[in-house]
Amino acid sequence: MGEGIATGLATAFQPANLAWVVGGCLAGTFIGMMPGLGPITAIALMIPVSYSLDPAAGLIMMAGVYYGAVFGGSTSSILINAPGVASTVATSFDGYPMARRGQAGRALALAAYASFAGGTVGAVALLLFAPTLALLATEFQSPEYTLTLVFALSSIAAFAERGQVLRSLAAALVGLMLGTVGTDQSAGVQRFTFGRLDLADGLSFVLVAMATFALAEAFRMVVAGGSEPPRSGLPHARLHPGDGKAVVPTVARSSGLGFLVGVLPGAGATLASFFAYEVQKRFRRHDEADAARGIAAPEAANNAACTGSFVPLLTLGIPGSGTTAVLLGVMLSYGVQPGPRLLEVEPAMFWGVIVSMYIGNLVLLGLNLPLIPYLSRIIYLRRRVLVPCVIAFSLLGVYLTSLNSFDVYLMLAFALAGLALRLAGFPLAPLLLGFILSGMLEENLRRTVMLADGSLGLLLTRPVSLVLLVLCVAIWAAPLLRMARERRRKQDHYAA
Amino acid sequence: MRFAPWLAIAACTATASERLHVVIPAGPGGGLDGTARAVGRALVELDLVERVSFENVSGGGGGRAMAYFLDNADRFETPLLVNSTPLLVRSLQGLFPYSFRDLTPVAGVVADYGVLAVRADDPRTTWEAVAAELRRDPRAFAVGGGSARGSLDHIVLAMALRLVEVDPRAVRYLPYDGGGKAMLALLGGEVDVLSSGLGETMAFIEAGEVRVLAVTAPERVGAIAEAPTFKELGYPLVFANWRGLFGPPGMPAETLAGHLHRLANMKESAHWQATLERRGWASLNAEGASFVAHLEAQERQLKEVMIDIGFVRPDE
Repeated sequence: MGEGIATGLATAFQPANLAWVVGGCLAGTFIGMMPGLGPITAIALMIPVSYSLDPAAGLIMMAGVYYGAVFGGSTSSILINAPGVASTVATSFDGYPMARRGQAGRALALAAYASFAGGTVGAVALLLFAPTLALLATEFQSPEYTLTLVFALSSIAAFAERGQVLRSLAAALVGLMLGTVGTDQSAGVQRFTFGRLDLADGLSFVLVAMATFALAEAFRMVVAGGSEPPRSGLPHARLHPGDGKAVVPTVARSSGLGFLVGVLPGAGATLASFFAYEVQKRFRRHDEADAARGIAAPEAANNAACTGSFVPLLTLGIPGSGTTAVLLGVMLSYGVQPGPRLLEVEPAMFWGVIVSMYIGNLVLLGLNLPLIPYLSRIIYLRRRVLVPCVIAFSLLGVYLTSLNSFDVYLMLAFALAGLALRLAGFPLAPLLLGFILSGMLEENLRRTVMLADGSLGLLLTRPVSLVLLVLCVAIWAAPLLRMARERRRKQDHYAA
Repeated sequence: MRFAPWLAIAACTATASERLHVVIPAGPGGGLDGTARAVGRALVELDLVERVSFENVSGGGGGRAMAYFLDNADRFETPLLVNSTPLLVRSLQGLFPYSFRDLTPVAGVVADYGVLAVRADDPRTTWEAVAAELRRDPRAFAVGGGSARGSLDHIVLAMALRLVEVDPRAVRYLPYDGGGKAMLALLGGEVDVLSSGLGETMAFIEAGEVRVLAVTAPERVGAIAEAPTFKELGYPLVFANWRGLFGPPGMPAETLAGHLHRLANMKESAHWQATLERRGWASLNAEGASFVAHLEAQERQLKEVMIDIGFVRPDE
């Protein structure tokens, strides 16, 4: 393996390949920053460029585009509450409020440093464990996936703000229902499509996310007003004193968690960012740095997870996400068949790509930090300028991903519904989470039930799924126990 | 050789100055996209056309691309639509109101064959052994595939089961989101048999992780010469998932001839042979009328088995 890493270093440090890392990262970051355009679009746009390169250079560039886009994706989440990819939704939870408080530079810098750390931890882990970790992917079967997803959804209830539990659950249920629109994956039956081809593939993530987050927020600004963010001179990319120290444990924890979740084929980076955010809330200290940790956790996790998703892609030839599926297509067009034998057949490329990820992360940090002061000026735009811009970008983003004007009307309808829900005090994050996880949950649950001839028994009889089940029960029981304890304390108080 | 006269004319009329526009009913990166772009690239490099542009129109299981193609074909100089076997499946299921008859079939380009596979360490090493166990108890184990119930992987399995007198509806077929995840389920032991495409399975066969029980090719495939075909096991099952090109309805005969001429030249070229080799694709030689005949025959074959598994209602 030492020899492999040496080959990788030699490949990655060829001047041409170095240039392609930088080029790929640049292109990826800028495309990823556009609201609505995520890594899939970025990679798809770069496919024609990749055709003119040799396989190693092409893959190195494409990988650069991929994590560049993940890196840049947090920008629109933080600045205008417009997560272009599912994995940056969690970043907007604490990032957007921080930016509205006038600390956009701090939020973006936190995201950049955390992404860098996550990506680097991921690249090192990939370097060390790639071949062994592939096993993890085969251990996780439908019952385990089902419970992982149930766990993710349950955490909504456990971590919801006080008095918001029922509303959060209601929103999550609406999200789950939205996820059932389209062609049913296991029977091929069309559901809730009203016979329209436009709905046959279901609602796209970009549509629902842009409608419920960016557009609904823009509409809310119009309807409800609110203060302009405080102006404090040229925003800078500096962290607050103490931020660095405060986020280190969070970043370390989130990177490890993110990488492991990322290895699982499926909604890797998305689940990873949500888990990291929820775990972070568990460790909340109720001090000023909580928001900083809330940004660092999902950003470290989603970057580590996107590196993790290369494990099944490179070692098994199995794409875990839409983005890695497009990457697989690119590899196949070079005649490179990723899979168990890639390491034997193409060692230089295998290790070259992995080493270039490390370089790419350095490049991204160097690229992003100087840009932050300029980017974060967006936040100081007057509402009457910002709101129309957000609306235009959101509509454009959705139109560009599907080139279907029906999606634009549908998105406007969803945004109005989202606005109504927000004004009625329903949180929209659980709705989006429910929507994202719905399809996977249904698919895995159905398989679990089919395997056990119609019973849920498999959830109980497998060791890993049993552990997950216990965790789910614990997460539901915790708030109930706390309530019971508080009530008893009160009674004791009155008795005394 | 019914097309020989047309080829002669085409040789004079087809010039390298033509511009093709290929509509792809799927997102970038998949098999259809790869096929379209590989053909386009070969045609340009061989100087058979001036340039080829591509347009990915995904959605509606390919229905949106079809609607788009039919509506906009006259906007482009030489429009083509790439498509594959699921076009027939979806027409039969009535998922969209189109069929290949709304288009002018040009030619099949490549073929992928179906395989049934087990883990390499599975004691059931032959299709006979698996079939015997399913005959005793159709629910003895589950079969995984990379597409929804009623689509290709399920259909290939049903075709194979019918021939060994097992009711396809009694066997548990678990659909996964793509052949890759179905392969993981096989390796992880969630399912015991995998129904998939040869292309997607190849890397795992070569790595010795899975064993192919049988392949739906008409004869043994070079890359996996050790795997028997259903035909040599004594079952009349040959099934190719084709990918091919279509023109707009009512395409003039000389345009069709021009396409056929170009594709014939391409298929003979070393460049195309190298592409097939690199991608692990099998060549499919079905042009013009023979492609239409191929489509009609496959439609009959599909309809029969889809009625059997309950995804198409028999004609009254």
